[in-house]
Amino acid sequence: MNFKLDDEQQMLQDSVRRFVDKDYSFEYRSTLLKARSGGSLARWQVFAQNGWLAAALPEAEGGLGGGIVDTALIAQEFGRGLVVEPYLGCAVLAAQTLVAGGTPKQRAALLPALADGARKVALAYSEAGSRGFPEWVSCGAESVGDGYVLNGMKTLVLGGVEADAFIVSTRMAGSGDGPDGISLFLVEAGTGGLSRQPLPLHDGTWAAEVTFDGVRVGADSLLGEPGQGLAALRHGLAHGTAALCAELVGAMEKAVEITSEYLKVREQFGVPIGSFQALQHRMADMAAELELARSMLFHLLASVTNDDAQTLVRTVSQAKALIGRAARFVCGQAIQLHGGIGMTEEYAVGHYYKRAVVADALFGRADQHEAACAAELQATLIQTEGQA
Amino acid sequence: MDFQPDAGLDAFRQEVRAFLRANLPPSLAGKPRGSVRSLRAEIEPWQRVLNEKEWGAPYWEKEHGGTGWGVLQQLVFDEECVAAGAPTQDGFAQKLLGPVLNAFASPEQKAEHMPHIFNGTRLWCQGFSEPGSGSDLASLRTRADRDGDHYVINGQKIWTSYAHDADWIFLLVRTDQEVKKQAGISFLLVDMKTPGITVRPIRSIDDCHHLNETFFDNVHVPVANRVGAEGDGWKITKFLLNNEHASAADLPILKRYLMQIRQLATRQGVCGATLLARHEFALRLARFEAEVAAIGMMVKRVAAMEQDHSPAAHAMGSMLKIRGTELQQRMSEFLVEALGDYGAVAYPEPHASTGVPPLPLQDVGRGVANEMFFRRASTIYGGTSEVQRGIIAKALFQL
Repeated sequence: MNFKLDDEQQMLQDSVRRFVDKDYSFEYRSTLLKARSGGSLARWQVFAQNGWLAAALPEAEGGLGGGIVDTALIAQEFGRGLVVEPYLGCAVLAAQTLVAGGTPKQRAALLPALADGARKVALAYSEAGSRGFPEWVSCGAESVGDGYVLNGMKTLVLGGVEADAFIVSTRMAGSGDGPDGISLFLVEAGTGGLSRQPLPLHDGTWAAEVTFDGVRVGADSLLGEPGQGLAALRHGLAHGTAALCAELVGAMEKAVEITSEYLKVREQFGVPIGSFQALQHRMADMAAELELARSMLFHLLASVTNDDAQTLVRTVSQAKALIGRAARFVCGQAIQLHGGIGMTEEYAVGHYYKRAVVADALFGRADQHEAACAAELQATLIQTEGQA
Repeated sequence: MDFQPDAGLDAFRQEVRAFLRANLPPSLAGKPRGSVRSLRAEIEPWQRVLNEKEWGAPYWEKEHGGTGWGVLQQLVFDEECVAAGAPTQDGFAQKLLGPVLNAFASPEQKAEHMPHIFNGTRLWCQGFSEPGSGSDLASLRTRADRDGDHYVINGQKIWTSYAHDADWIFLLVRTDQEVKKQAGISFLLVDMKTPGITVRPIRSIDDCHHLNETFFDNVHVPVANRVGAEGDGWKITKFLLNNEHASAADLPILKRYLMQIRQLATRQGVCGATLLARHEFALRLARFEAEVAAIGMMVKRVAAMEQDHSPAAHAMGSMLKIRGTELQQRMSEFLVEALGDYGAVAYPEPHASTGVPPLPLQDVGRGVANEMFFRRASTIYGGTSEVQRGIIAKALFQL
């Protein structure tokens, strides 16, 4: 284990940070938000040209052959700049699900186009009743003729407004409600019966509610093997959660930096407010929370690198809960230490808090992840303690 | 940055485990060890065993007779020793005084003290705090006045843990009344048998006796017992306090608490089911596991910084101390809660003789509440959480 960036990693971090500092100012981002566009196509092409979309994809399929650490480095810098383009939804979540779930032929057909930015795919897995957890699927797939018919609805599909295709999780008719019953399909956005409603989110990003009403697809649109979709979803979600957590660490970093600068220039009672101990100690607590969150992110990256599937599911939950809470605390306190100015639309810190609020809703909320960990303990601990 | 497992460290853990299995005598093992220093009768034989293996000074460089282990190896060693219930070493000698002697002591001083430290035959205590000098340590007033080749010490130290069972004390004294407060301090080694020293016990809320007040009344100490030059005391103190950022959270204890909670979870019953079946219990245990995992990684980060002599280790160590000690408090409280009704019972403290007949659930409940009460001190000693916050604000934000 080594916490220092090597030369290539340092170059990657520097290049994304330079882009964010130079070409993604808070003012520029504000114009994107006003346009209600969900981001800029031109910027997406910049991501592609710089290799950021390809960074963690396999070399054989148009990628650069990097891994989860590269994803985390990019996402962290995007978090500092509150980048609104659907990097998380398309370049990480959907792309990694495809990496894990697609047949070699499907991967070869699609991944190069994701890597060079020619196409965008979104992952449609969450449903109104599943709250971000991949196991609960009511969207159905029925074998009809030499293809399938899909029916159901998916919520909060990240990148779903821009995507030209969707990976959809379904339960195949007759496959029961166990973990083996989930099948993934790749569905072109223009397929008849598929409709989407754009959802504006608090932080200026967009998601889609996607409805499948008798959508007919060919047999070759089944992703991987029937009934084997959950493992691919979990792989995609592990990478997606790591990216989101890294983004939040970046967001916290920046919120802390902005706030500490403000404390030095804002004067009340004739002195900089940073001279007050109550505010100094709050800053210290924010910094400690940030570093604990960063440590948890590293724990997750280590788990992605080393652990078996079951352990990784637990680590994903732990990280999502702990880092999500930390981000709301740190960004909320950033508003508090600013006073009134922190409440305004035209000042940055409030937008970091909004990102933290949206992040909690993505991929399952903190409470539910902790409850999942607790349930797992209840199911397994009596056994392990019995053996001890 | 990479997160591949460290094969060398895993192998080292196996080596420590095997050593403990083979060499930790049953009479010294499995003691329900909280945070309190072991008894002299336990420390000395255990130190002898470690010394035979040339592990007598786990935290020191090889050139000083230590193991030369990296910070991460030291942590593994600590973890495995706590998990096996091995006695503590003399932490004052090993972690605080030892590095100071290695760096600043004269050859004569080393020859006098080092063999005793390696053999566990001389236990140490620390004379820093005074009634008027807690967080503002540099304001200390215990004075040492020159009288020929001796200092004459007058004053009072407080919170001198284990002074009642210590052979020697390392002491901060004021040797110059005229200069700036930090500049007038010197660092002395004093034999506790020297006439004029009185130790008075302070019983603490954990129902144990480890704290004391120590009085100095015309105590004559050879000038040769001063470490470093006159007035170097503050420099040495900063060196000493800067030595162990990564261990501030006491990760081995946190892991031990987790183990204890897991055991209670399956062995205690509530309303006809295991404690574990209670959702509110399982939820809190799940949270603790996540927090210990995060703190564990933070410890590794601080250890890596320390190993690289990175100045960032300082503020990060303070953050780790705040969050780690606060977690110690919450987890030790949770253990008491897990005892249910018996969490209210004041069992005999771990070193006291067992009552006859024993109180109900005594084998499980003994020591648990003592540990919780003791942990109120975690956020006070070694720099209060509030002092740490000040350090962080200054170091990171120049506030």
